[in-house]
Amino acid sequence: MRKRAVAGSILASMGILAVGWQIGAATAVTPSTTSGGASGTAGASGTAGASATTAASGSSSGSGSAPAAPSAPAAAPASSSGLKDGSYTGASEQTFFGNVQVRLTISGGRITDVKALRLTDQGGRSVQISNYAAPILRQEVLASQSAQVSNVNGATYTTEGYLQSVQSALDQAKA
Amino acid sequence: MRHVFETMGTVVSLDAAGPSPALLADIEGIFADADARFSLHRVDSELSRINAGTLSMLDAGPEVGEAYALAAEWRSRTEGCFTPTRPDGLTDLNGVVKAIAMRDAGAALVKGGIQDWTLVVGGDLLASGRAPDAGPWITGIIDPADRSALLCAIELREPRTAIATSGSAERGDHIWSAAGRSEFLQATVVADDIVTADVLATAIIAGGDRMLRTACGRWPIDVLTVDRAGRLSATPGFREALAVPVAP
Repeated sequence: MRKRAVAGSILASMGILAVGWQIGAATAVTPSTTSGGASGTAGASGTAGASATTAASGSSSGSGSAPAAPSAPAAAPASSSGLKDGSYTGASEQTFFGNVQVRLTISGGRITDVKALRLTDQGGRSVQISNYAAPILRQEVLASQSAQVSNVNGATYTTEGYLQSVQSALDQAKA
Repeated sequence: MRHVFETMGTVVSLDAAGPSPALLADIEGIFADADARFSLHRVDSELSRINAGTLSMLDAGPEVGEAYALAAEWRSRTEGCFTPTRPDGLTDLNGVVKAIAMRDAGAALVKGGIQDWTLVVGGDLLASGRAPDAGPWITGIIDPADRSALLCAIELREPRTAIATSGSAERGDHIWSAAGRSEFLQATVVADDIVTADVLATAIIAGGDRMLRTACGRWPIDVLTVDRAGRLSATPGFREALAVPVAP
């Protein structure tokens, strides 16, 4: 059960990263290849997944973001998918959720890794990207009920509601 | 020792060892003042007179301005999921007033030299220090499907000692959702301060899954939600805080 829950939370985190990747990739990801002016060719071929290379290097979406920086010196020849192996770092992009910057790694023509380099909220604080609510089974939380509680927490009750509440019983027991 | 009193249309339960009668009177006074100023059940409260148009907010006490500014700030932070304006246009500051009073009462207790206490007001809870057994305070969370039963229990560890629960099944008169029925039956938020916990629990009920994601990513909080089908979701911190079961 615990395993399933952990898997769930990992999947939830990945979902967030995937969103982040789309934000970065769709707007300003520059290939880090050094093969002369060839960097735009893969994108020009219009293959699937080419969003990673279509940014025509440097035209970083005009949202005031930092320019993309090459991060790997060499790249393998383009594979059949049209994606060249290497690491690609997206520009820092302003989004509704704050600044987002991602790096993706392509190996064998496939995306093998996506890393969030920067994720901040509007106040500039870094965001806990793993802090997302994931499904949890009722049985997982039930055992904790047997702990000795001193108070209870629930949706707002009125004076009348209090009289029937667990809190009222606890207050009487501990008066 | 439990000190229980009625105010603001609900009941306050204070568990603290050794507060003087004067300190208890101060605590009761904090809630009585807030009720006199903000209650919409009293025609003579400052907020009722503001709504009636017979008092300008600028002429009201500074407490009214502070509460309104705080509520407006949270409306902006939550993209309107939390709001001090009712659908009928009246200003209702209940969403922050109770939490502000709890915050101030907690500060008064600490100032009065009381370190270990819990304060429960209408289902929301603020804790400080340790329980009588020297362990962390443990609080149960009510099952929305059966209010006489607990869903689970968690330990409140410093600094995350404020916990608030909102429910869409309750009267919850400060939750107005443009989207209609909430996806969640109940949302519990554990935070470092009671205003944040209370506001975000309300906002998650009103704003649903989208607000839940925004809140978890943007504020240091732990959350447990129960949806209409009874399914639960929790943040990693909430799972970790689950109380250790007592051996049978």
